[in-house]
Amino acid sequence: MDSLVSRYSRPAYEENEVAFRDEEQQDLELMGAAPPLSLKFAMPPIAQPSSWLRAATDDRSNPDCPIKIAHGTTTLAFRFQGGIIVATDSRATAGNWIASQTVKKVIEINSVLLGTMAGGAADCQYWLAWLGMQCRLHELRHKRRISVAAASKILANLVYNYKGMGLSMGTMCAGVTKEEGPALYYVDSDGTRLAGNLFCVGSGQTFAYGVLDAEYRYDLSDEEAVELGRRSILAATHRDAYSGGFINLYHVKEAGWVKLGFEDTNPIFWKTKLEKGEFTNVTADLN
Amino acid sequence: MTANNTRTASVHDYKEVLLGITGKDFTLIAASKAAMRGATVLKATDDKTRQLNKHTLMAFSGEAGDTVQFAEYIQANSQLYTMRNETDLLPSAVAHFVRGELASSLRSRKPYNVNLLLGGLDPITHKPALYWIDYLAALAPVPYAAHGYAQYYCLSILDKHHHPDITLVQGIKILNMCTDELKRRMPIDFKGMTVKAVTKDGVIDIEFDDDKIVKSA
Amino acid sequence: MAAMFSQNPVMNGPNYSFSDAPRTANGEFREHRFNPYSDNGGSTLAIAGADFTIVAGDTRSTSGYSINSRYTPKVFKIGGTTSSQDDATILLSVVGFAADGEALRDRLDAICKIYRYRHGKPMSVTACAKRLSTILYQKRFFPYYVHAILGGLDEEGKGAVFSYDPVGSYEREQCRAGGAAASLITPFLDNQVNFKNQYVPGSGTGHDLKEREVVPLVRRDAEILVKDAFDGAVERHIEVGDGLQMMTITKDGIEEVLLPLKRD
Repeated sequence: MDSLVSRYSRPAYEENEVAFRDEEQQDLELMGAAPPLSLKFAMPPIAQPSSWLRAATDDRSNPDCPIKIAHGTTTLAFRFQGGIIVATDSRATAGNWIASQTVKKVIEINSVLLGTMAGGAADCQYWLAWLGMQCRLHELRHKRRISVAAASKILANLVYNYKGMGLSMGTMCAGVTKEEGPALYYVDSDGTRLAGNLFCVGSGQTFAYGVLDAEYRYDLSDEEAVELGRRSILAATHRDAYSGGFINLYHVKEAGWVKLGFEDTNPIFWKTKLEKGEFTNVTADLN
Repeated sequence: MTANNTRTASVHDYKEVLLGITGKDFTLIAASKAAMRGATVLKATDDKTRQLNKHTLMAFSGEAGDTVQFAEYIQANSQLYTMRNETDLLPSAVAHFVRGELASSLRSRKPYNVNLLLGGLDPITHKPALYWIDYLAALAPVPYAAHGYAQYYCLSILDKHHHPDITLVQGIKILNMCTDELKRRMPIDFKGMTVKAVTKDGVIDIEFDDDKIVKSA
Repeated sequence: MAAMFSQNPVMNGPNYSFSDAPRTANGEFREHRFNPYSDNGGSTLAIAGADFTIVAGDTRSTSGYSINSRYTPKVFKIGGTTSSQDDATILLSVVGFAADGEALRDRLDAICKIYRYRHGKPMSVTACAKRLSTILYQKRFFPYYVHAILGGLDEEGKGAVFSYDPVGSYEREQCRAGGAAASLITPFLDNQVNFKNQYVPGSGTGHDLKEREVVPLVRRDAEILVKDAFDGAVERHIEVGDGLQMMTITKDGIEEVLLPLKRD
């Protein structure tokens, strides 16, 4: 009786979330008996896994931590008359080391849904891929596409389940559906989920906000919107050392998203400076 | 040890806003009006600037007490120089004097914890000058500058919209873009800005609309 | 200079003058802590070409300033039909904590073998790359302390290199260096593989300079590059040396060579 009660007194989402796993389960999974991507995570055999994990992986609270997880970013997305612009930089840092300059921080969940990646690279990659799976399952079960609101809620509920365990992600879900039109949601690992017109996420967010807020209007033309997105990321790569590399640009339209480019920041910076006379704090002669 | 920690911590009171912009023939200096102690706003019409001589103006933020003491010490010495020599020091000379004073203070038993923006104009060539100086006595001549959280929100705006040959009206317009962004995104109320400009006629007060309400998109 | 004296406790004579009992920054004796990791040093490197992939690693295994072994491979063949791995099509290199590395290799190998048994064909590198990512992420809260690099040929026969962080974020790249000397080798690779900071001679001055066009490397050139990279790393990093294990995948299979590195 008690086991029956305890079974149904848990929230529904906990049904398939089992944090601890034993050897037997591991073997089952290895043999392929457990479904792939089953949410069973190995845990260190100690009382406080999260504080140990923090000491081992959190660069900020422990600069000598042995495992450096890739961090640092600028990402932005905004809604306007022509849909949604999504733009990111492409730098991954581990401490002061630039681990990569070519990271794809826009994750294509499906043909109409995009996710952006800020915070832990693995957390974002894994859970947005998982979200893609959930969205597809929703389609198969309900014979229609999932709404952006529902998709973002699935993700928000999932990360809330792991709250306090050390996940680190700041993501934006952008997409279009017939019911909602273009929709944009911000979801982070604290469990915050917000609908909105304009978000910037990551260490360079304030710099991107500065440029974006100053000239943002809902009735921006497509060209103006793309240029503003690109220029905002450029501003952040210029002022935030943890951002840089390439500018990754996407436009979410009614029919789905279109990739607009993956452009090196350096030539764009010099073009902007020399042709438009911006960045007057930088000297142009190379001597 | 504890006292030392609280002192260094309050230098990083990033809530105070200092902004500086140079243009064709002027330098704009703006400072937030709120005088804050802990969770309280003690005064909403504070002036965090001092005029050093006819063509030099200094804005300051940092440790309570240190700021005004240091600024007025510099002000008095600049004025003394003017009286003794019947001529003003040029902005660059004042800036390096200030830096020197701050640097020797830094190596004393009780350093001044002050961040500064020093704006001026060469009275003969009418070329503007702006110096960014922090509490560690680092000095940088710059076309535009900010201290505190304002750096994070405003420098990208200035990177995009600043040009060396803007007029005073255009300068004020850019300053408005900056304060709008601060109102939009900073979680505290800094009670508006004191805005002054150094022009060929000396330091002038600029009327600035503090009551405008800005909402984010 | 820090390592002038031996850390070997058996050796008498000049040594660090403080006691070995671990203490905190405040000078108190430190209590037992869960510390499941160690760092076995070494470095790895992978380069993708037009129709080949090279995965290489040095063979030294260290702990602290001691050398445990001069031949402990870091590069493994994955997913062959038998334990000899003669017909393997994928290479995995792991650097960091050797025990975790071997556990990871065994796990991935088992999964690839089961796949091969069930489907009657070897796993593609792209599929294997995704699977490795999820394996690493399964231990998100108790990570494998490793930097893994996976190499192979993709469905079009082109060289493919995938690099991973300890918890499974991954990316396909042209080349990647991992481990202790990654920060020494990477700038060299940026310049010699991706031609970073190289310009066409006579194409102008200042902003007019044209960047040198990036073309995939010839196999022989890539092999020379790998050897040069490790010779450089051996010269400047104490945890790298002894032997260079270099495996090359082509459509004809995997060739392995072992080249000598300085042993000091």
